Amino acid sequence: MDSVLELRAIRKSFAGFAALDGADFTLRRGEVHALLGENGAGKSSLMNVAAGLYAPDGGRILIGGREQRLGGPREATAQGIGMVHQHFHLVKPFTVAENILLANPRGRFSRGIETIEREIAFCTNMLGFVVDPHRRLDSLSVAEQQRVEIVKVLLGGATIIILDEPTAVLTDEEADGLLTTMRRLAAQGTAVVLVTHKLREVTRYADRVTIMRGGRHVAACDPKTMSTAQLTELTVGVALPSPVREKTARGELRLIVAGLRVEHETGRTALDGVGFQVRAGEIYGIAGVSGNGQSELVGALTGTTAVAAGDIWMSGAGHIADRPPAIRRSGGLAAIPADRYAQALAGGLSITDNYAVAGVMAGRYGPWGWLDRKAMAKAAAAAVRAFDVQGVRGLKQRAGLLSGGNAQKLVLARELAGDPVLIVAHGPSRGLDARACAAVHERLLAARARGNAVVLVSDDLDEVIGLADRIGVMSRGRIVAEFDAPADRQAIGRAMVDHG
Amino acid sequence: MASPSFLPAGRLNLEIRTNLAMGRQMLILVGAALIGILVSAAILVAAGVPFGELLSEFVIQTLLDPASRQAVLAQAGPLVLVGLAGSVAFRTRFWNLGLEGQMIWGSIAATALSVFDFGPPGVRLPLMLAAAATAGLAWSGLAFYLKERFRVNEIISTLLLNYVALYLLLDLLYGAWQDPKDSFPHSPQFRDFERLPDWGWPIHGELLLALLATVAVFWLLSLSRFGLYIRFVHENKGAARALGVPVRAVMLASVLLSGALAGWGGFIITDVQEGRLTQSFFDGYGFSGILIAFLARNNPLAAAMVAVLIAVLFVTGQSLQIFYQIPFSMVQLIEAIIVMTVAASEFLIRHRLRWVA
Amino acid sequence: MAICEFIVNWAGGVPATALPYALAALGLIVSERAGVLNLTAEGLLLVGALAGIGASLAIADRPWVALPAAVLAAMAVGLLFAGLVVLLRVNQVIAGLAVVFFCQGLTSLLGTLAEWQNHPISGLGKLIVWPLSELPAGTHALFQQDGLVYALLPIFYGVHRVLFKSMTGLRLRAVGEAPEAADSAGLGVTRYRVLAVVAGSALIGLAGGYLAVGGTKMWFGGMTGGRGWIAVALVIFARWRPWRALFGALLFGCIESMVPRIAAAGISVPQYFILMTPYLVTIAVMVWAGRGKGGADLDEPGALGRPHVREERR
Repeated sequence: MDSVLELRAIRKSFAGFAALDGADFTLRRGEVHALLGENGAGKSSLMNVAAGLYAPDGGRILIGGREQRLGGPREATAQGIGMVHQHFHLVKPFTVAENILLANPRGRFSRGIETIEREIAFCTNMLGFVVDPHRRLDSLSVAEQQRVEIVKVLLGGATIIILDEPTAVLTDEEADGLLTTMRRLAAQGTAVVLVTHKLREVTRYADRVTIMRGGRHVAACDPKTMSTAQLTELTVGVALPSPVREKTARGELRLIVAGLRVEHETGRTALDGVGFQVRAGEIYGIAGVSGNGQSELVGALTGTTAVAAGDIWMSGAGHIADRPPAIRRSGGLAAIPADRYAQALAGGLSITDNYAVAGVMAGRYGPWGWLDRKAMAKAAAAAVRAFDVQGVRGLKQRAGLLSGGNAQKLVLARELAGDPVLIVAHGPSRGLDARACAAVHERLLAARARGNAVVLVSDDLDEVIGLADRIGVMSRGRIVAEFDAPADRQAIGRAMVDHG
Repeated sequence: MASPSFLPAGRLNLEIRTNLAMGRQMLILVGAALIGILVSAAILVAAGVPFGELLSEFVIQTLLDPASRQAVLAQAGPLVLVGLAGSVAFRTRFWNLGLEGQMIWGSIAATALSVFDFGPPGVRLPLMLAAAATAGLAWSGLAFYLKERFRVNEIISTLLLNYVALYLLLDLLYGAWQDPKDSFPHSPQFRDFERLPDWGWPIHGELLLALLATVAVFWLLSLSRFGLYIRFVHENKGAARALGVPVRAVMLASVLLSGALAGWGGFIITDVQEGRLTQSFFDGYGFSGILIAFLARNNPLAAAMVAVLIAVLFVTGQSLQIFYQIPFSMVQLIEAIIVMTVAASEFLIRHRLRWVA
Repeated sequence: MAICEFIVNWAGGVPATALPYALAALGLIVSERAGVLNLTAEGLLLVGALAGIGASLAIADRPWVALPAAVLAAMAVGLLFAGLVVLLRVNQVIAGLAVVFFCQGLTSLLGTLAEWQNHPISGLGKLIVWPLSELPAGTHALFQQDGLVYALLPIFYGVHRVLFKSMTGLRLRAVGEAPEAADSAGLGVTRYRVLAVVAGSALIGLAGGYLAVGGTKMWFGGMTGGRGWIAVALVIFARWRPWRALFGALLFGCIESMVPRIAAAGISVPQYFILMTPYLVTIAVMVWAGRGKGGADLDEPGALGRPHVREERR
């Protein structure tokens, strides 16, 4: 057996929460090994242990058959282990060459830069792509930055390369390019770990797959011997029914967006004439590779991003393109933002405060000078029950202590209270496990059935196809195509990448 | 944390602690404050104050002697106000380090009414209070404007504006407002109806004012809708804005209130202690306000209590100055040491060190 | 002729007044480039000044005794600050302020107890280097400078080389921009930050020492008069770049060196309003730096003020 890396019974907990609970993993020379699991299954934590970033609480690490203790990332690098993190570990104002030199010192600075530039040229040649070593990192696209990370790791002498969710930020084309490169690397003897939750990548590119759930190893096998359904069941536990979308009557117009333009501070155009309409009882999905203007569109709709030109009309609130969020919310706008901790919740405040703040503003809990704390607590308690928010030890508990799924349920409870005119949801199931994800989808469909208008912006194409009545595809700040449900996945995928 | 290389096996792991019981937290904080006081005492002993004297001076004299007790309460009034001023501003993460400048402006504005004999005697005192608050909030509002309009960091602008206010004060005291009677650099004596009333110990106008301000700030921060808004702004400005909280208005209000409270603080020192504008009346109060807010974790009721303790320190410092020629800046040194020890102790509240084999 | 003499005199005074600003700002840049927001300058200047005078009075009245003493004293306080913010992760604003007030209290206490107050020393002598000394005598007022003034350019050049043309500088800046990246590249973030703070403190201490030994030539409480805060502002104006900081320091040197000369020239302006000008100019410069869309903080080190925590999870 030529296993190059073996992790045995690894345990690691954070503040009492066991992220890894006896996880096993074996990697062989020259293979692409997929590590599959839901968000929160412990994949990244396990790989961070392998890369020396986390010190395990228990378990053994064997590299090349010898037991090792990794005192830090430097020792992992010395053992030939390199990791490309989901959030790149690169220095934005540095050039490509400086970034790579930082991780791979080559003597004195000026000579080192020259040496590393030669090495970069050699390495990129071998991998079959181009990286300009003189460009500043923040001028590169995400895919290019990822290449820099890979070159950096390879020049560090890595024989084991770990990629953490590498395709999450790439277009399908870019993802195929990357994974083909990785196959070529593996053919030359490098061991590649591909951390992912996308089944298609596993069946197409991996030689073997290890499946994790709840911080443990569940199975290790050849993906070609398994059906998609089997893999899904191993990943999720029990197979969950997909959401049922009943036919509803579409009502009056609730939202009209026309000619919407948003510009960045740098002068770059983020939205370039976006227009669409949404009716009551309808979910309008917006699909696209992230970074094509989705965040700016959500910002423009919710009032956190300044609009340069164009119109947003919302029934009940009127023309709101240049009105502050307070006006929109009092007109019946509900928002479920992408980053719930940064944009929707105050992590240091109690669950009650976080739930009741919307009602407080509407004057539901007493006059200006007096907050009716009892009524607030009562309403929050009812909402926690109704939306099945788990992990609540008390309503005075800080909202930041809730797990991702439960935090999202709390946001939903607040935003869907009352009868919103329009709901803007951005990646509402991002980072949630399968069960929480299903609960979120159920709530959005219930809102639709109730007659609310919903704008659903998501990078997850399956989510959009599963929920939306109509789908607009965003590319480079425009809506380039619209589809009615049931929509053809291939056609949408083509629209996402074809239009320039 | 990187593992120290001299350790043969395993490493010291640093973990984040999210929920330490309130009682434990208090215990750690009080312990740290005591360590700070012990360090300070050691410095004083090294500076030549016998330990026994220190104990009797600090504890027995200050707390048991009625005259000193009165001095402590008199000292507490302005300290409560600057402590509240700090708390209110830090609640929105606005680093108002310009408390002294705002105190100076408050005093100058109130003194101007006295110098120019403005308004009927019956309402002179309320007018002076209003003038002090207005001038103080104008000075803090200027820093807010510079931050919002020109992105000038308020840490720097408020500190620099302190010097501007100080030189304005000196210009007045060595020029237009110099007391013609004795030609000392201070303004003419306030008239009787310009002094805060004293109804006999302990009911003094300044204490009532401090008490009133404490209750009002407590109501605003803890009971009113504004309080919930300000908590959201403190915790997460982005979320607050997205939820429709008028973030800018909330911040402006807290900065202005902070300046007004500091303006009052300055005014009551001039009014109660000397009854005239002097050139260094504000000494040591600016940092004390920050210290009080920090130790009280921006809680107005706690700030009032901490302010009384700091008042004890002030009175002790004054007697040390008289009897042992220890400069009054010793008070500042002790305050800084306590801030350091207490701030350092928060490390233990927020982290846990664990040995991993 | 009088105007000409006035200008030569004024210009000759500029380097000496600019030097403390320049060195203090440079020290702050070293610290902040590593990601540690440093507000301690006002305190470190005082410590450097007192140590310089103290060493002159207690050991020997020689600049090569006084200036190293100033540097060492400031480094010790810098180490205390680094311990608080880097190891114990105390809020960097709170810790910085506490250190300033600690230094103010400590220097005032020590200065009084040791009776170093208002005792003049001979301090640093002026000198004029060779090619310049051959110029006409009328210009000598321009070039008759303290030795440290002549050392200023090499110091700036050296720090610039280290920051931008060496591996040490690359690592230090990486620690300040993206500690996660530095950490995964195997750099000790803690070590680099502590070293950067202490090295920066040394430069600020030198500035403080010069202020006393080369400038006032005696100690009195609070003698730095807010120069440390102006240096903090200078760093923002300079966008954390050494040469821009030097330029800014010269600008302040011009203004400050004008202040005493206006009164001496018999122009009657209220003196306290003249004393205000450095602070007002600083604010004006900050306004100027903050104009436009991006504002001054565009070039701010990415992790400035943020402690590095590897094991943290929400």
